[in-house]
Amino acid sequence: MNTKFATATAVLLASAGTGSAEKIKFEYWYGLTGDLGAVVAETCTRFNASQDMYEAVCVGQDGYDKAVQNTIAAFRAGKHPTLLQSFDAGTADLMLSGEFYPVTQLMADTGVTVDWTDYFPGIANYYSSKSGEFFSMPWNSSTPVYYFNKDHFAKAGITEAPITWEGMEAAFVALKDSSQACGLAYAPSSWIDLEQFSMAHNVPVASNNNGYDGLDTELLFNTTLHVRYMEDVQRWMTEGYAMLRTQAAGKTTRDSFVEGECSVFFSSIADHNTIHKLTPSFGWDVQIIPTYEGVERKNTVVGGASLWVLSGKTDEEYKGAANYLAFLATKEEQQFLLENSGYIPVTKSTYEALKAEGFYAKEPFINRDIAMKSLTWSEPTELTRGIRLGGMIQIRAEWMAEVEAALAGQKTMQEALDTAVARGNDHLARFAQTYAGKSFP
Amino acid sequence: MIERTPILNLATHVILIFGLVIILVPIWLAFVAATQTLQAVNSAPVELWPGDQLWVNLQQAWAQSDFGPKFVNTLIVAIGVVVGKITLACITAFALVFFNFRGRVLIFWMIFITLMLPLEVRIVPTYAVAANALTPFQTIMDWTGISWLITALSGVEVALEWNLLNSYTGLILPLVATATGTFLYRQFFLTIPDELVEAARMDGAGPLRFLWDVLIPLSKTNIAALATIMFVYAWNQYLWPLLVITDRASYGMVVVQLSDLVPDQLTTGGGTPTWHLAMAATLVVMLPPIAIVILMQRWFVRGLINPDK
Amino acid sequence: MRRAYFKFSWIAAALLAPQLLIIFVFFYWPSAQALYWAFTLEQPWGGGNTWVGFDNFRKVLSDPYYWGSVRVSVIYALATTVLAMTMALTLAIFVDRQLVGYKAYRVAIIWPYAVAAPAVGLAFQFVFNPGAGIFSYINSIAPGWWDLSKYPWQAVTAIVVAGAWKQVAYSFIFFLAALQSIPRSLTEAAAMDGARPLRRMIDLQLPLLTPTFFFLLVINITDSFTDSFGIVDTLTGGGPFRATDLMVYKIYADGFRGFDYSGAAAQSIILMLLVMALTFVQFRYIERRVHYT
Repeated sequence: MNTKFATATAVLLASAGTGSAEKIKFEYWYGLTGDLGAVVAETCTRFNASQDMYEAVCVGQDGYDKAVQNTIAAFRAGKHPTLLQSFDAGTADLMLSGEFYPVTQLMADTGVTVDWTDYFPGIANYYSSKSGEFFSMPWNSSTPVYYFNKDHFAKAGITEAPITWEGMEAAFVALKDSSQACGLAYAPSSWIDLEQFSMAHNVPVASNNNGYDGLDTELLFNTTLHVRYMEDVQRWMTEGYAMLRTQAAGKTTRDSFVEGECSVFFSSIADHNTIHKLTPSFGWDVQIIPTYEGVERKNTVVGGASLWVLSGKTDEEYKGAANYLAFLATKEEQQFLLENSGYIPVTKSTYEALKAEGFYAKEPFINRDIAMKSLTWSEPTELTRGIRLGGMIQIRAEWMAEVEAALAGQKTMQEALDTAVARGNDHLARFAQTYAGKSFP
Repeated sequence: MIERTPILNLATHVILIFGLVIILVPIWLAFVAATQTLQAVNSAPVELWPGDQLWVNLQQAWAQSDFGPKFVNTLIVAIGVVVGKITLACITAFALVFFNFRGRVLIFWMIFITLMLPLEVRIVPTYAVAANALTPFQTIMDWTGISWLITALSGVEVALEWNLLNSYTGLILPLVATATGTFLYRQFFLTIPDELVEAARMDGAGPLRFLWDVLIPLSKTNIAALATIMFVYAWNQYLWPLLVITDRASYGMVVVQLSDLVPDQLTTGGGTPTWHLAMAATLVVMLPPIAIVILMQRWFVRGLINPDK
Repeated sequence: MRRAYFKFSWIAAALLAPQLLIIFVFFYWPSAQALYWAFTLEQPWGGGNTWVGFDNFRKVLSDPYYWGSVRVSVIYALATTVLAMTMALTLAIFVDRQLVGYKAYRVAIIWPYAVAAPAVGLAFQFVFNPGAGIFSYINSIAPGWWDLSKYPWQAVTAIVVAGAWKQVAYSFIFFLAALQSIPRSLTEAAAMDGARPLRRMIDLQLPLLTPTFFFLLVINITDSFTDSFGIVDTLTGGGPFRATDLMVYKIYADGFRGFDYSGAAAQSIILMLLVMALTFVQFRYIERRVHYT
């Protein structure tokens, strides 16, 4: 990474010395930190070096929640940026406030061309309105998969990584029989266990098609297959096939997997890059998340964040932002992101081009595109477009606290989920009351 | 030490060493983490002995965060806060303790209450004030009709603006607003014997002379303690600077950069857990505060201060 | 407060004005707005709000989990304060004896205060890791005994220790400064009167420390209510199952992360009232035992 910085800086300095006219500046506040934050900063440097009309001023905000929160503070004082990287749970309030510039319209107004049909439907739907207009620009997209230890699987005689939960349970039994102490490293994750699970199984998380159709939404996950799944997880833990692995418990699921303790763990495909860097001493691979037999599998949806264009800025800043967004959507820039992270391509053409070049046949990218398979398994249905709920952070927190209590034996899983739904519905009602009279665009 | 007490001395050392070990364990572990590779720092069990990557990690953390200018910025802000806070605390507490007026207690409480509402809760409206520090006055003038009056009389439109964003003032002023120093000085001033004050008054000293000639020299240890605390407090700020400074190259502060090295827990995965770099950066970042602590030690030394005049 | 000496004059007003001005602009003005939100349902991005009177308060106070949060906050505040101040006082008294190497002790004990808040949480993750150090020994004898994801009391202990850690350093600085400003002549006179070190400590040093003690008591308790969310965030995330959900952490999670400005504002007012009440009690009943002169 350091040499890339140096080169980019050199290019920038060189271009700055050619006596260019005053560049139009616009600000972009992003939430990624660490090495991913460095990638974002690098895209800005590359954009600035690639043309001399606009300059992106990219400011890291040390975290998704702080990025959104700081933008709100700045917005209320009229000092906000043009672009904001917002995570999924941060968008409901923004959408209902209407204080954003839908990117489809932005591109049309500024005359910048983006091929909206090139985006994978599973990604496009998450970020668009009912009429197909993109609100925000996808950039760092991911979806969950599970990582498995090939050596352990081979020893247990498992030839194919299962894609059904029944197959998964059989795998756990086989692993135990081959004296593997731990089959699944588990940490409750609302994104994977509740949201993505429901997508893949085409069951609702909440009414109103997961909140798309109105604000009088109520949670439904204590009545769907989700209950059976959580009860299965609880059973696997008591029977010794799965172990709770969280930071508080001493090591995370990823740590447990990397050191060869547990054979399977679930996470975003974005961790694919991280696992490579941690150099596990065994062979490993990824597989799409399982579904129950007899269920017609549907697509999973994206996580990650998207770029929102905020209202109240000048036309020039909007032009600059539009150019930056289009820049990010090019194959070269997508490839830059993919090479430096575990994310996946968002446009079909980029994916096809990379496949043709053999990108996904070389380490460390081999089989990373299985995530695409999960994302594009089917055309999105009404229930698999995504989730639009207010108070999403609180709902996730309620789910998490209740599931932890159930797993610790304090209540049954059904009771836990019932409580989570009841408390979550309070949050939803409060949200609806706050935005009375409004509806999602 | 006044008499020879070998057993008590031994006990003293034992207790101190024990306390020291307990206190320094986390710092030791942080140091060990800073000396490891990415793989080592992410594997259990947690190592108790250092690795060999310290220099490598330090270099990488420094380069990635561009700490140089940020150290300078943070130093400027910290010194500003120290000077501002000590001055304000001293004169405010002096006025509250030594002057007789109604509402002394009320004003003290009004200052004290500022400790009870954490910054995070009021950060959104505080930012609006930082964006235009004269907003309160503008609003008051608008409500009371004064701005209308001024415009009617002179044709000049009243639009006060003082933008504190991306400036040292914007970093220093809000941090100077807390009550700890005033409270500390209040405690100290309350211990001043009546005789001392009477003696000064009989010498014909007015309040300011009393403050300057008598109280300030007496409060040297307090100043030292408060200066140390305030310097470290200002040095370690990250929530407020993160918000008001977008021009990181010119005004960025160090702990904001430090937080940037830690992968965000809210992302759905993907960030490499570079704890080793974060810990290496921590070691670097805590050096100036430690240096200040060592520097200010001289003022804690008994004997340099002679309170009996 | 004690009898004052000078009559009120423009000098006093001029001395008070700067601090009052600053806290008006940077505290009272913004806080008034933030607290006003407690009586409405505020939309984060602006765009309006609905007046709901005391509804937010009613909702917060009728939530059983909220009272759990209040309970653990009070326990946390008392535990960290007692732990931190006891350790700090003990260490300060012993360092004050100025034996060989006392300067090094001084720096080492103050050191934790210099560590930045984000780093403290990270460092303590290493400390409390069940796979490391002390805890791995314990766990090898009694497997699974130390498990922060299972036992609420362990999680609370962990945050209390992490919270007290920085407060020890802070309190130590002030205790030591106060001890060091006791005139040597006084201690020598006491020694000549035949008082042994322990006696001198009880009769001479401790009473003279009471103003500082009071200061630290109030500050420690206040800070442990208002400053503690960072530690909870990195160590336990409020868990397991809400066991370490401190009031200030809930405010942060709801308001800052969850965009519920009104709920967070209502909770903040309740927190402020609680801390004010505690402080008032301390000023009323404990300050009268402080020896100022």
